[in-house]
Amino acid sequence: MKTLALLLALVALLAVLPFVGSDYALSFTIQLLMFTSLAYSWNIIGGYAGYTHFGQVAFFGLGAYVGALLVGAGWHWLAAAAAASLAAIALALALGSAMLRLKGSFFAIGMYGLARVGENFALGFDGITQGGTGLYLTPTDLTPIYAVLAAIALALIAFTHRLDNARFGLQLLAIREDETAAEALGVRTTRLKITAFMISAAAPGAVGALYASYLAFIDPATAFAPMTELTTIAMVLLGGLGTVLGPLVGAVVLSVVNELLWSRFPELYLGLVGIIILGAVLFMPRGIVNAFAKRRWRWVSAPRAGLRRLADAARPVPAASPARTPAE
Amino acid sequence: MSTLTLAAPRSTAPGLRDDILVVEGVSKRFGGRIALDAASLEVRRGSITGVIGPNGSGKSTLFNIVAGALPPDGGRVRINGRDTTRHGPAQVCREGVGRTFQISRLFSEMTVLENLVAIAHGKSDVEAVERARELLDFLEIAGLRDKWGSELSYGQRKLVEIARALMLEPTLMLLDEPFAGINPRLQNRIVEHLDALRRNGLTLFFIDHEMRIVLEVCDELYVLAEGRVIARGAPEAVRADPAVAEAYF
Ligand SMILES: Nc1ncnc2c1ncn2[C@@H]1O[C@H](COP(=O)(O)OP(=O)(O)OP(=O)(O)O)[C@@H](O)[C@H]1O
Ligand SMILES: [Mg+2]
Repeated sequence: MKTLALLLALVALLAVLPFVGSDYALSFTIQLLMFTSLAYSWNIIGGYAGYTHFGQVAFFGLGAYVGALLVGAGWHWLAAAAAASLAAIALALALGSAMLRLKGSFFAIGMYGLARVGENFALGFDGITQGGTGLYLTPTDLTPIYAVLAAIALALIAFTHRLDNARFGLQLLAIREDETAAEALGVRTTRLKITAFMISAAAPGAVGALYASYLAFIDPATAFAPMTELTTIAMVLLGGLGTVLGPLVGAVVLSVVNELLWSRFPELYLGLVGIIILGAVLFMPRGIVNAFAKRRWRWVSAPRAGLRRLADAARPVPAASPARTPAE
Repeated sequence: MSTLTLAAPRSTAPGLRDDILVVEGVSKRFGGRIALDAASLEVRRGSITGVIGPNGSGKSTLFNIVAGALPPDGGRVRINGRDTTRHGPAQVCREGVGRTFQISRLFSEMTVLENLVAIAHGKSDVEAVERARELLDFLEIAGLRDKWGSELSYGQRKLVEIARALMLEPTLMLLDEPFAGINPRLQNRIVEHLDALRRNGLTLFFIDHEMRIVLEVCDELYVLAEGRVIARGAPEAVRADPAVAEAYF
């Protein structure tokens, strides 16, 4: 309920913004929505399944190039974004079974390597990508791009809310907690991990393509920027890893802080952002959402509340009947 | 006690052994170390069968091989007559095998209810929650439902692990030292629960150190020493075996 109310409020806010806000506000919100989507996507595999990694930007970059090339070939930017999303999902499927065999830091670093491979391919195949020069697109109207990004972000919040209250989410958490035990108890870990990985690649692919349309330009350094990766992860950690609202809270807080500091202290701002993240992680190691949930702040709905409600509502077990002898 | 449905016991012709688990000449070495040396055993359907043996005698290794968590170097494992030697752990589960671990492996950042529901198979969420509630009632730990895995005491973990394995509606339960390190009162409670489960048709195969419980609950007992089965039979007979006394005490 709380999440639904929050979603509705967000929809209302996002719906009026293009009419009342300045170009600057629109641009800021586009980037915020982009990062919100990236953070929610990363949270599915990194937060829920516990497979944290530094390579999501590989899907983003692939999406950016697929999108830019298709738009350059005359596709509508929306169709190009859909195709970019499919390309990212396909890449996740192709890599999933090999990459997700790696555990812990090996997976994290392996994925970082993948992003670097992507960047170098974009540089190297300059017959297609124009290499370091980058691809230029005809600028389009930003408002529809903004609307699509808003829809993606809202869909991801709703999806995460469902995930948090569904068995699929619990199974991912079980993988995070103890993959060997989960597998020993019959959880099909490989299939679940690959599914989660593909879901977590879908939005970054699309968002990458939309970003290229938004900039009307893409080059390898922009498409595969480690800064995009680190900002996304910092947002999830700051807000709360493996929570429904964490990525949103993290994305909003960090984007606002970023913007305020960047305009006031252009030279120092990255360092200041770093200090703020450090402080937050030190004092709220489990993120803002968890810190507040602990203090029983009512606006944070309890994790996996749906399941608990189901157990409360379940019909009472008949009292004092002996263990039933099973029928043949 | 709650209503608890388990698999129906299969009836067999009198005098004929109906083995749910057959281990034939299974060997395993870790580097130069021989953990299991051509060990063979059978677990009768509907029985409570125990394995004892000194530290490092290969008991957990045997369980891990049966459960599909470790591949054996040689030998065969059959469950319900089917060869499961090359099965992975999830496949062995599908054959109706549930297990607990020597060192608790609860999902610690999940509640007890979530621990159970997460591994349910072939059930809707509502059915899974219902089953979890029945099991928690049956094991008299309904009060722990919303506690985090990390909040539980050692003994509570053992009980929750048993409940979690029962979520799979197994026909064979592998329990790795369910009685170790817990107080005698709780041990007795677990014995009672296991007995009730067996009466419902479940086969129990467990590892233990303590003679007292083994003698009390087992129908049949195996003794492992240095990876070999050195004795088998009714608990009293095994205890009287001089070879066992030599290896074990
Ligand atoms: N994964 C492993 N890698 C290397 N050696 C192992 C491994 N697992 C077990 N061993 C060795 O194999 C032998 C048998 O171990 P196992 O755990 O099966 O014994 P156990 O009978 O369960 O002992 P305990 O009573 O201490 O639980 C021991 O010598 C042990 O050190
Ligand atoms: Mg052991």
